[in-house]
Amino acid sequence: MESGDSNRPISGAKIPGEKRPYFPQRVAVVAAGIISPLGFGLGETLAALREGRDCVAPVTQFPVEQCRCQSAGQVADERLAQVNASRLRRPDRLHRAARMMIYAMGEALAQSPDLAPDLSIFGTTSGGMTFGEAYYRSLHERHPTIGTPSWLANYPPQKPILDAHEAFGLDTPCQVIANACASGTNALGHAFECVRSGRYKRVLTGGYDALSELVFVGFDSLQASTPEKCRPFDRARSGLVLGEGAAVLALENFASAQERGAHILAEIVGYGISTDNHHLTRPHPSGIGPRQAMERALASAALPATAIDYINAHGTATPFNDAAEGKAIVELFGRVPVSSTKSMMGHSLGAAGAIEAVISLLALQDQFLPPNLNFRESDAELPLEIVANEARPARIRTVLSNSFGFGGTNASIILQHAPA
Amino acid sequence: MSLFVRGMGWVTPLGTNVSTVWRKLLCGTEAPAVKVESHLGLRDYQAFRVEETPAAHPRLRRSSNISRFAVAAGLAALADAGIDPTAEADRIALIFATANGGVIYTKRFYHDIVTGGARQASPLLFPETVFNAPASHLAAIMGINGASYTLVGDGAVGLLALKMAEDLMRAEALDHCLVVAAEEVDWLLCDAYRKWRLLRDAPPLEILHQPPRGMILSEGAGALLLSRSGKIALEQISAGGNYWSRDKAAALLSKILEELGGEKADLLVSSANGTFIDAAEQKAAHASALPIYSPKPALGEAVSAGGLWQVIIAAQALQSQQLPPQLHDGSQHESPLPLARAQRALVLTCGLNEQAAGLRLGLAG
Repeated sequence: MESGDSNRPISGAKIPGEKRPYFPQRVAVVAAGIISPLGFGLGETLAALREGRDCVAPVTQFPVEQCRCQSAGQVADERLAQVNASRLRRPDRLHRAARMMIYAMGEALAQSPDLAPDLSIFGTTSGGMTFGEAYYRSLHERHPTIGTPSWLANYPPQKPILDAHEAFGLDTPCQVIANACASGTNALGHAFECVRSGRYKRVLTGGYDALSELVFVGFDSLQASTPEKCRPFDRARSGLVLGEGAAVLALENFASAQERGAHILAEIVGYGISTDNHHLTRPHPSGIGPRQAMERALASAALPATAIDYINAHGTATPFNDAAEGKAIVELFGRVPVSSTKSMMGHSLGAAGAIEAVISLLALQDQFLPPNLNFRESDAELPLEIVANEARPARIRTVLSNSFGFGGTNASIILQHAPA
Repeated sequence: MSLFVRGMGWVTPLGTNVSTVWRKLLCGTEAPAVKVESHLGLRDYQAFRVEETPAAHPRLRRSSNISRFAVAAGLAALADAGIDPTAEADRIALIFATANGGVIYTKRFYHDIVTGGARQASPLLFPETVFNAPASHLAAIMGINGASYTLVGDGAVGLLALKMAEDLMRAEALDHCLVVAAEEVDWLLCDAYRKWRLLRDAPPLEILHQPPRGMILSEGAGALLLSRSGKIALEQISAGGNYWSRDKAAALLSKILEELGGEKADLLVSSANGTFIDAAEQKAAHASALPIYSPKPALGEAVSAGGLWQVIIAAQALQSQQLPPQLHDGSQHESPLPLARAQRALVLTCGLNEQAAGLRLGLAG
């Protein structure tokens, strides 16, 4: 889509039952915030991406000696504890995921303080799971139930985003999507559709997840995580490492953003969702699920595959995921630069799609390709153009970001460089 | 936006189809409570359970009750609407809503970790602990290859899912959206709500009592097939907002009622459940002279599913022009309340964890 008249209708399709035609609106990203193992905020994240910093380290949150995989990307607790949550009634009771969410939202709202969102749509997979774990352990070990009501009140998956809203006095209805590892991109994509449809002017969106023992051991039990380095798309790839974090993007009707003089960071132009019914945890080997999501995102953006300059892949480094995703990318796009930034920071599950959308946004703004670390040898079955091991400068205008999850849920989003 | 309820599916402790459950509610029947035992040798609780688990699809052989409930209700709503999902799979979106998810398998999975270490963790259980597992099973059985979303939240999440359906139907040229909400009861949930001081030891579930006496947990599923035509119109949905403390819940509910145009309605289906919610709803609706009915004394608190049960009850009330007798509110109602040409019904859901939402239904002209 070319920039120009900011509210130029893309089409005037008539929806059955609707009195007025559906004129898609352009959607601007007017603010962003991020926290992840790469760092606190956009500046630290950009520096880590440019450096190609490996932020995966031994797990410190819970015991992992019985696990095959013993490393993860973690957000530093000492710094997290300093996140200002003083507006909350009981900041001492916050879950780590809530602190991450508050940090990311604070960074985003500082860029657009007059943003008054109509709706919030966020993704997560497990919310405050570790409080649930603490409660169960207290029952099992017959400990006195000190802390139990607080754990239970702060355990539900939606609580971290509700806490973040309270921290900033936002009385916005919240939809919390839990589509496994695609949650973040699904949230962003649905938020995009809400603004694009004209029903909402401003939507806050993103994702969050904190490491938890249950989920960590779950992936380990499936042998989806690796005892080695995370090597997306490498011939010797052996699995993922987990991560954690949060990211927030503020979306706004493009014309509205222009009218109020908001700084437009990027434009979201397309979103695709598909469901692959092959298996609860494995994609269909043909790559049909990822392929449909990417095709639908391109159709939604009215763009040809050749318009995509860089793909931030889901790239978990599991043999099955990378094979299915890589096959779909090769078939649809041929040679296009691809990297999985999970190699640097681990897979942050419900936060991953939002974090990777912010990384894509930084790539567009700073005109570089983020690296795919630990890449040694190409997979002969996957003739991809991997951005191996080092970031590199590039002229990029349009980026596609993928997220795929358990339950066969697949999502792709397309971001474009903001017009000057 | 014109959106209609075209089909409904209902899995409850009082039965597993709409006509049976509705008939029992009209007769003033209350679900029987059963004992829920602790596997840790701790105290027992009581809850309302689904007596006959719906027939399992082969895909569900390893699945927990929540997936079985969701699939049964979803397929029933499609059948009620006369829709063959396999023939229209690419024109149907699925939204699944839940608050507590697959708690039975989640507890079992984590119990193995706590007692035996990570090596004891079962790779068969873990995928079923994920919130979107029920949606995944239902999507696979229906053959959906497009939009499938799982929403999490508190008791308001069922209505938030309907709001999302309204948005999806606007943004994408879909013909139908199937909205399903489901919960399963487990001892762990009973204990958690009890420690949160929201649960009472045994029925009855008494509403509007001061001080509140607590709720009884329930399980099952509700499903609504939304289309662009039907007998019941979803006239307006309010996604409400969030209340940061219990004393602010009434103000939020008042705002929702105002947004929905409470004066246009003929009845209100409430989420009063024997907790602080009762007083908040009562305060919000105090100026209204509407007939009010809460199904929770009869069916229990099924959290996400409970919200869709309220919508089904509102739809049934409009179509049959009667409300079931209100149980355990201190009054002596024994027979159904006839409604005089009721055209519109309000549904209010106040969750226990800071979210609230509402909607207005109307008989389609």
